[in-house]
Amino acid sequence: MAVQRTIEGAAGPSGLRISGFRLKPLARAAAIAAISGLLFACVWLYGSGLRDARYLDGWLLAIGMSFQVYFHIALKTAQLSPKAVVRWRTFHISLGYVLIAAFLSHANFTLPDTALEWALWTGFIFIALSGAFGTYLSWSLKARHGMSAGFNFDRIPIRREEIAQTIHAAVTKTPSPSTDLPLPALPYDVWILDLYANHLRDFLPAPRHFTAHLVGSRSPAQRLLNEIDTLSRFVDTPRQEKLAAIKDLVIEKDRLDFAHVYLLLTKGWLYVHVPVTYALIVLSVLHIVVVYAYASGAW
Amino acid sequence: MRGLKNVASLPRTKAVKQPPSGPSRDHIARQLALLTIGCLTAIFLVSSGTQFLMPGPLTSAHSSIESCSSCHARAGTGKFSWVAGLAASNPHDDSKACLTCHVMPDTAFNAHGASPAILQQSTTRLVKIAAETYQPLSAQAQEAAFPTHDMVAAGLQCATCHQEHQGANFNLKEISNEQCRSCHAVKFDSFDGAHPVFESYPFKRRTRIIFDHAGHFGKHYPELAKKEPGKTLPATCSTCHDSSASRTVMAVAPFEKTCSTCHLDQITGKERASGPKGIAFLSLPGIDVQSLRKKGAQIGEWPEDSEAALTPFMKVMIGRSSSGAALIQSLQGVTLQDLSAANDEQIKTVTSLVWEIKKLFHAMMSGKASDILANLTIGGSTKLSPGTIADLTANLPRDVIASAQQQWLPNLAKEIAARPDTGERQRSGWNTHPVNHKSAVLAFMRSQPAVAHLRPLQFAQAGGNNFSDGDTAMPRRPLPSGTPRSIEQLDQEIGATPPPSAKIKSSAPPEEPAPNASNATGSDAAPSGDTGTSPTTAASPSDPANQTDELLAPTEAELREIKAREKGAPPQKTAAPAATENPASSDEKPAATPPSATATAAPPSSSAPTTASNPDQTTAQTENAVDNSFDAESWADTGGWYRQDHAIFYRPAGHKDKFLASWLLLTSPVAAKGATGAEAAVFEQLIAKDAQGSCTKCHSVDDIAGQGRAVNFTPLSAKSKAGQFTRFAHEPHFGLMGDRGCSGCHEMQKNTPPIKTYEQGDPKIFASNFGAVKKEVCQTCHATNAARQDCTLCHAYHVNGVSTPIMKTKIPTP
Repeated sequence: MAVQRTIEGAAGPSGLRISGFRLKPLARAAAIAAISGLLFACVWLYGSGLRDARYLDGWLLAIGMSFQVYFHIALKTAQLSPKAVVRWRTFHISLGYVLIAAFLSHANFTLPDTALEWALWTGFIFIALSGAFGTYLSWSLKARHGMSAGFNFDRIPIRREEIAQTIHAAVTKTPSPSTDLPLPALPYDVWILDLYANHLRDFLPAPRHFTAHLVGSRSPAQRLLNEIDTLSRFVDTPRQEKLAAIKDLVIEKDRLDFAHVYLLLTKGWLYVHVPVTYALIVLSVLHIVVVYAYASGAW
Repeated sequence: MRGLKNVASLPRTKAVKQPPSGPSRDHIARQLALLTIGCLTAIFLVSSGTQFLMPGPLTSAHSSIESCSSCHARAGTGKFSWVAGLAASNPHDDSKACLTCHVMPDTAFNAHGASPAILQQSTTRLVKIAAETYQPLSAQAQEAAFPTHDMVAAGLQCATCHQEHQGANFNLKEISNEQCRSCHAVKFDSFDGAHPVFESYPFKRRTRIIFDHAGHFGKHYPELAKKEPGKTLPATCSTCHDSSASRTVMAVAPFEKTCSTCHLDQITGKERASGPKGIAFLSLPGIDVQSLRKKGAQIGEWPEDSEAALTPFMKVMIGRSSSGAALIQSLQGVTLQDLSAANDEQIKTVTSLVWEIKKLFHAMMSGKASDILANLTIGGSTKLSPGTIADLTANLPRDVIASAQQQWLPNLAKEIAARPDTGERQRSGWNTHPVNHKSAVLAFMRSQPAVAHLRPLQFAQAGGNNFSDGDTAMPRRPLPSGTPRSIEQLDQEIGATPPPSAKIKSSAPPEEPAPNASNATGSDAAPSGDTGTSPTTAASPSDPANQTDELLAPTEAELREIKAREKGAPPQKTAAPAATENPASSDEKPAATPPSATATAAPPSSSAPTTASNPDQTTAQTENAVDNSFDAESWADTGGWYRQDHAIFYRPAGHKDKFLASWLLLTSPVAAKGATGAEAAVFEQLIAKDAQGSCTKCHSVDDIAGQGRAVNFTPLSAKSKAGQFTRFAHEPHFGLMGDRGCSGCHEMQKNTPPIKTYEQGDPKIFASNFGAVKKEVCQTCHATNAARQDCTLCHAYHVNGVSTPIMKTKIPTP
């Protein structure tokens, strides 16, 4: 069931499948690779023409960063329509990958030597990695876990509370006494209560398994489900149905925890991406001024 | 999933209102930006300099540079002065800062640091090749997208290729093939690809040493081996060539290790079959004295028997003053030994020459050689250094000149003291009363049984007498006819002490005509003061037979002729009498025939002519005398000075003879082909085919446009290779050549004799014994996935080199 859901989510409602891969991302990746290759070639030719190639890739980097900053400013000032935002976001991500190539070329594929260079280098790396991480999260939530972009982070606690109450109610509800056989009944409800007390009571009220969700592990949730399944084999049919309902709710709670973690990260990475961008802009301006003040040789 | 969708589908209005995270994030962003600015400002304020702005460490060679302004000319020394660098300025400012340590010629910013003419010449040649060469796509794209022509035309900056701040171990000299290619007309992919084939590499000019390898290998060595089997002959190329001194030069081993076995004797003249083995440096040139005297020229004493020519060296020395130069110039067309048809102007010129020569001799006696040559400047060059003068004179001893002077011009001091240019009348060089020629007197003298007392040329020990000191023991001889009166008067004054010659004369038989210093030329002539003791004092001065001018005495050559005639032997023209020669006793003592010349180191001591009058004494002296019957030229076979006839010769001492080399070096700048100056004459004499020393038998002579000629004494060196675009180190290849060795690359071509081409002066017109090296030979190793084949392996960029000046350390003073 879960596997089927994942495939469905990955394909998406409008996704076109070719040999198991989606065309659009592939085409975009190919375009990014081609543009990066072209950039490297241009820089090589520029350097071969007795010029300092760092000026070329440096300016390409600066221009690209200006586009990225413009997107941020446009979002803040609400200059873009929702459709334009979607297009710009796509462009922002693609350009980001190209800028990584430009940066690598500008840094000559080496680590920096001085403090100012380290600051620039670190700033860019933070922005690039945070951007790539955010892009991955966005893709991961949507493609792997079926969560659309409109998923509401603020509703998770409410739903979590509802699930906890539903399970609690189901476990504590006493079934009507049986009249068929006078034989003493097995304590099925006690067993369910025991399951709830030992495993579910702590699991339900708050987000759990943060680390496991962060690394994409489902083991903690699977252990709970295994406990429920094991108990199901020893109870009667009505209790089996009850345990099945509880199991569904546990699964949903686990997914809510996953969503909570990922949505938290989705918001969190921007706390790195945006502020560091501001700092990098300051450093970049200083960098450009210093470079031209001390410029020597052909550019 | 369903559950999650349900969560998503919950109405948002029900969601709990959370404070928006955006403003908080932006706030952090602004705070971080401000923090960054604050940090940078703090760093600017706290730091002692601007080093924190450096993009990377300097290379280790530059690591001691602490101030940015040392290289970044506009950076200044203030914390914020570097901002001034943003203003437009001369793009070469920083590069000029590089040149303060890395010294380069004015053409430093040209491509390859070469002159525009050379670049133009090279480009013209390469453009033709480029038309036939395939250009790779990358080269075409680079040319189209980022052309370099304008950039190069504006002058290249150092940082174009040498980009600093890339770490201590960064190779600043590293340059890619593509970077080289971007400027070049011929664009190719690799050496083993479309690199053009070699054009007569490595021979761009003829070798400096004239050497016919094929001739030596095929003829001279086998002949020598046959003739002298024990003689060591070169066995391998490395006997004569090695590259241990410089990796880029396959130098020729020194002369002493190579050529001297066979060619040393050619330098010293031992193998010379004819002609003098020395170079006439100073001479009393043969002059038609008779004609001069007939025309009343006052030349004082001058040997009539000289057949020497005026040497070009003397012309240079006389011509060192403007008047002397004019005099030498005006001598053109004058035949000194036949002035019978000379006009008055020519006679005046020759008279002036005579006195100039005398002045020169006098100056060389009274002063030092450095005094004579100190003001000799040739071709506008600076004054000569003492060392150069010592080379130019080969440390000519004063005794050599002194002995020559005493024999040739014994009264030089007096003549110079009262030389004719001291008075207005004399300055004209004319005497209104022509002198009588000595031939009549000579005829008379020959008729006399003994002419010993007429022998005026007393050779004195040069070292023991001061030629200018009248009180010395050196015998003064009577002044010749034509001697200016002032000289005669001076002679009388000086002659207060009767000279030995006078005493000798007094002991002569009274019937014999005594030498008389008085001028017998008429009214201007005054009786000589020292003639009072002479038996011929009363003789009429008008009688030619009584003229006591020593010019009336037979000359050395004439004496030899007389003796030879008496002995029945053919006359010898070249021999000059020694100082002890006594014509009167020559008949009696043929064994004491004077040597024809005087060697420098031991000039034969003179004996007084009185010995002639005492046969016993003469016999005793003859027995004790050192045999002087040697040939001075042979005596000086190891080189040095000697005197012969009326010239002082220098015989080359061996290889690297400083006398020859210094004169050739000194005169070569003004010795262009066809030059007529005295300096050019010296040069021509020394480079002539049969010149003594045979310098130019091996050392080629190159014409240098506008700068005369140059004798290639300096061997090929790394420095002389400056300006060449291609370099090659022999040494790394030695182990690869196998049995073929050098001939693996240098194939002998027997049909191209190189010697002929040295007869002209253009070093670029030549024929080599060896064929050009082919590209294929190099390509056998230098290919893809084999040995290196990058451009800078074989081609230098800074063709004129880059040098670093030495430190200017001041000497510590208290």
